[in-house]
Formats: sequence, structure tokens, C-alpha cells
Amino acid sequence: MTNEYLTDYDAIVKTMQMYIDGSRQGKSGLMRPAFHPDASFFGYAGEQPATGTKFLFDWIDKNGPAPKIEARIVSVDILDSIAVVRLEVAGWSGNLAGLGVRMSDLFTLLKMPDGWKIIQKAFHWHA
Amino acid sequence: MSAASGGIVSRGDFGMRLQNTPQKTLESWKQIAAYLERSERTVRRWEASEGLPVHRREHEKQDTVFAYKHEIEAWNRLRTKCPPDLSIDEVESLPTVKPATNAYLAEHDAITRTMHCYIAGARAGDGELMRPAFHPSATISGYCQGVEYNGSVEHVFQWITANGPAPNISPRFARIEIIETIAVVHLEVQRWSANWPVRMPGRPTYSPCSNATASGRLRTSCSIGTTNSGRPSEY
Repeated sequence: MTNEYLTDYDAIVKTMQMYIDGSRQGKSGLMRPAFHPDASFFGYAGEQPATGTKFLFDWIDKNGPAPKIEARIVSVDILDSIAVVRLEVAGWSGNLAGLGVRMSDLFTLLKMPDGWKIIQKAFHWHA
Repeated sequence: MSAASGGIVSRGDFGMRLQNTPQKTLESWKQIAAYLERSERTVRRWEASEGLPVHRREHEKQDTVFAYKHEIEAWNRLRTKCPPDLSIDEVESLPTVKPATNAYLAEHDAITRTMHCYIAGARAGDGELMRPAFHPSATISGYCQGVEYNGSVEHVFQWITANGPAPNISPRFARIEIIETIAVVHLEVQRWSANWPVRMPGRPTYSPCSNATASGRLRTSCSIGTTNSGRPSEY
């Protein structure tokens, strides 16, 4: 009982780390395992709505390395098999991102047999 | 920094490892991990979830990181123990954690440092250790085994000291919400121990804390704790 929260919390942070690592290195392959195959992705890229994880993965690969990314986990809200994580990522750079941009993310995760998977990502780009 | 010889070393021979690496920076995740005696994965996670101060150098393609030993030490010291001879003001006068890149991150990190002071006191079973983290007028409210605790934060300090060391507590930041000069932290603390079972048999705690900035420093202004059959939590 006592350890269940810690186990879940730490597993969720590990999943988020895959997303962060992929973002930093500009390699979608690093973050793909963190996502459920049916995961959704929403947000505005400029004034255009961006949807679908394919958009995300393509963007990450085209953007390339963003070595100065700094991420902070703002909240981890766990409800048994589901969780919501809010992430702040500052210091974005790269081919598409521009310099020193900040992004706020809301993730929903599902506890699967093979670990916590991101089932939804919504983002806000601080232009 | 003379911290290593000043009796405020937090983890065994922590400072002694300096002898093998005379330079003042750690130049890779590998070195940072070795310095903290953890895996690279773990220290990367600590950067994201606990504000481990890691810096980056901008190169064309490579992702190179480095860390200042004094910052790592300061972080580790506050994470594991709040030294009695180091006031919160002195702590804040230490080289700051890259206040640079982003104001939001700097505030986030300042709050985690304040919270680590509370955690250190709880772990050591010493109410005085956590005192610098609280505003003098801070209050506490909550239920403990059906008994209501209300009033001055002094109750917390007394309880913590009476409880004694709880070396195995495992705190996690469930939430750090910042609105300009105020913030709310939801801390989950598992594995309370020591004399705890006398009062709260084997229960964990939940403690949300409200923080406010006062002249640039963050102090906990309110602590609300509840123990339930699941876990203890705090605000």
C-alpha cells in the first residue's frame, strides 16, 4: 500500500524522462516508447491547430537537438490507473523552435501492463 | 567551498570524493552520476523532478552538460539535510542555480529548496532544522488519528522533534503551483517511522503547503496535514 504511490510516481517520472530525452536530442525514437500507440496530441503551432502524434514525432525529428532544454515537473496527479502530469519545459531551441522558447504541457497517462504510457499530450507554446 | 570539512556534509563521505576529481565542474552525465553515486538515468530524473542544478553548453549538434560541484553539493545538502549552522539566508547567498534561462524555473527551484529544508527536518526528527523554511506566523491545520491540530506552526516543530528521526521517509512533489508571489506545494510523504506508530500506526502523511515569497525568499506560510488509511499528505 505504502509503496504503491512511490512506485507509480517514479514510473511516471521515468516515462516523462523519455519524452524529455527525445525532445532534447531531437530523436522521436527516444520518446515513442513513452506513448500509447493510440495517443492523441493537440495544441496550436502558431495559429494552426496541430494534431496527432505523427505531427509531434515529425516535428521533434525536424527540429533536431535542443540541448539547453530544462524541464520541471509541476504536478503529478495519480488516480489509480490514470494520471495527469503538468510539465514546464524552458530553453527550447532547434531548427523549428527558435531560441529560448518555453512550452507548457499537459499529459494524461494510463497504467499499462508494460508501464505508464502517455495517452494524450496537449501543449501551449509561449511565443 | 569548505562545506566538505565544515560538518555539514550530508551523506557519509560525500565531500571526500572531491579528492579524485580536483576540477570544480562535472563535465558529463556520467561524472554527475558518479559524483552522486547514482545512475545517469536517476540524475537526469532528479533534474526534472527535483531541480538538480545541471547546466548546458550550446554546441552545433551535441548535447553537453556540466554541473558545478558547489551547486550539486548545495542541492544535495538541502535535499538530505538542512545544516543547523546554515541559515536560509546563507543558503540563498550561495551561487544560485542558473537563475538565468527562465524565471519560472528559478522560482520552482527556490521552492523545492525550501521544501527540502522541511523534509530534512522531518527526516532528522529535528523541528529546528525546518524552522528556517517557515514564516514565523505560519499555521498548521489537520487531523491526526482523529485529533485536530490547529494553530501555530510551532506545533509542527514540537511534533517533529518528539517523533524523532524518520530516516526512511520518501517525499515526492505531487504539485508545485506558482502564481507570481504565492505558491502551493502538495507533498506526499511515505514511510514515516520512528515514534510515529505510537500516535499514527504505520500511516503515511499528506501535506500540502502554501508558500509565499517575502523579500525574495520563499517561506512556507501554511501547512495542512492529514493522515488517512492510504498515505499522509501535506499542503
